[in-house]
Amino acid sequence: MSKEIFIFIASVLLIMPILSVFGDISLPTQLVLSAPFIILLGIPHGAIDNVLYIRGASLKQTHFIAIYLLIIAINILLWVIFPVAAYVLFLVISAYHFGQSQFSHYFKTQKLVHQLTNLLWGVSILSALTLFNLTEMKTVMSDYSEFSVFNSVHHTSGLTVIFGISTLLTLGSLVWLTASKAITLEAFFMEVLILALIFLAFYLMPVIIGFTLYFVILHSFKVLGEEYRFLKLAKEVKSRVAFVKLLTPFSILSFFGMGVVFALIHFDILAMSYGYCLLIIISSITLPHVFVMNKFYKLLFKTNFYQ
Amino acid sequence: MAPDDYVGFTFFIGYMAMAAAAVFFFFERSRVDDKWKMSLLVSALITGIAAVHYGYMRDYWGTFGESPTFFRYVDWTLTVPLMCVEFYLLTKVAGAGKSLLWKLIIASTWMLVCGYIGESMSDGSTGHSVQWGILSTLGYLYILYTVWLGEVAKLAEASNSDVVKRGVRTLAWFVLVGWAIYPIGYMCMEGGWLNSALGWGSDNVDLWYNIADAINKIGFGLVVYNIAITSSAKTKAA
Repeated sequence: MSKEIFIFIASVLLIMPILSVFGDISLPTQLVLSAPFIILLGIPHGAIDNVLYIRGASLKQTHFIAIYLLIIAINILLWVIFPVAAYVLFLVISAYHFGQSQFSHYFKTQKLVHQLTNLLWGVSILSALTLFNLTEMKTVMSDYSEFSVFNSVHHTSGLTVIFGISTLLTLGSLVWLTASKAITLEAFFMEVLILALIFLAFYLMPVIIGFTLYFVILHSFKVLGEEYRFLKLAKEVKSRVAFVKLLTPFSILSFFGMGVVFALIHFDILAMSYGYCLLIIISSITLPHVFVMNKFYKLLFKTNFYQ
Repeated sequence: MAPDDYVGFTFFIGYMAMAAAAVFFFFERSRVDDKWKMSLLVSALITGIAAVHYGYMRDYWGTFGESPTFFRYVDWTLTVPLMCVEFYLLTKVAGAGKSLLWKLIIASTWMLVCGYIGESMSDGSTGHSVQWGILSTLGYLYILYTVWLGEVAKLAEASNSDVVKRGVRTLAWFVLVGWAIYPIGYMCMEGGWLNSALGWGSDNVDLWYNIADAINKIGFGLVVYNIAITSSAKTKAA
């Protein structure tokens, strides 16, 4: 059991009963409770993409930033022209990214079966999150007209099928990986337990709080640890303080950028709801981040980081 | 007792299984090295104490048809700290100190006393149940951390014995998964948040407690027995 898993178990066991005392928690309250953790741990885990990507690549910092911004611009354009396609793309690449970080310490290569397991695992948890909180999500989304285009994606029967198939296939690929000795029997049981705990958290907790617990503890916290240990081994940083200093500039820039966009909405310069805008922002910073992390994990496997 | 009284049935089975296990562990002490005799004696005590309490609980259930909360907690308050003693005894070879023993005993007693207050002194409110449930969970989390990531895990790693490493890890799984049934049962009681939030009742809680007790106590003992017998056989062969 890793420290992240222990913290996740402890958080689920302690937070779930407390939430039950408060009953239904409104979306703004959920956002207020979750935002500090997402700001302090979620955003920073993608704030050194430039350092991770440029390392070992013959690419200048300015070129990297230009390409990064270009991908963001294309993504925003996609949201404007084909919002449903942009939304589905966001979900699929997020699913792959979540799976990739979940299994990074087991796999030594990125074979098709590993990539497929990453994707299936991610699809399984994201479809669970949506399916288990569909009523809550639909209520929130019905307040904003922009979200009505996603009604075709948020269909109970469709989501049930996706959730069922992806979960069964995830379990199947875990069995296959165990049988082919890619992971140990103990790792198999641990992964099944984690999957069950994530489902439980998504089922029993309000949607934002449940997702924040997973995203911050099992995803961001783990990735930040990998990034720190990798950069320490590569002698890019000497201490945790130096690592935090490295994360700071682009984290602050991200908050500032979001602040500017929200200010534009506030002063009616940008005609869009905050929620829809936040979705586009998250999707836009996720897309290039996933490409960088894919390269980062290739580098980890190449340098036998987990052996 | 009615033929379809499944709970009563498991009280009978639990009573006999615990008693048989106690006798087994006690007599098997003669087959293992001296350093493992205490571990097997503790396993025999755990199942023996549980057998006595299951005898009382069986009668209580037969007479009143109610959950024997009092006897159950007396049983747990004696046997769970003893299960924690097993971790100390297994890692003693790698240098486990008395402080580890006391920390585990205090944490397990804390966990059970808080659970007992939460369950037996309940006014039916979720607040009372949640408050004592959280306090009890802190004790559980301390034990979970110690056996998976803390002192016990480190000592097992330092023992240079694959048998001890594997055994301690198996026991850690008992703590993680096997012990999970108890807080679930607690949360299903009146005032428990699974009861109030999802409407899960405590009708069959004794059935699950009895099954979990048999697996956790006898299974725990069998893992210790396996470590002792394997290690002793290796010593003899050397």
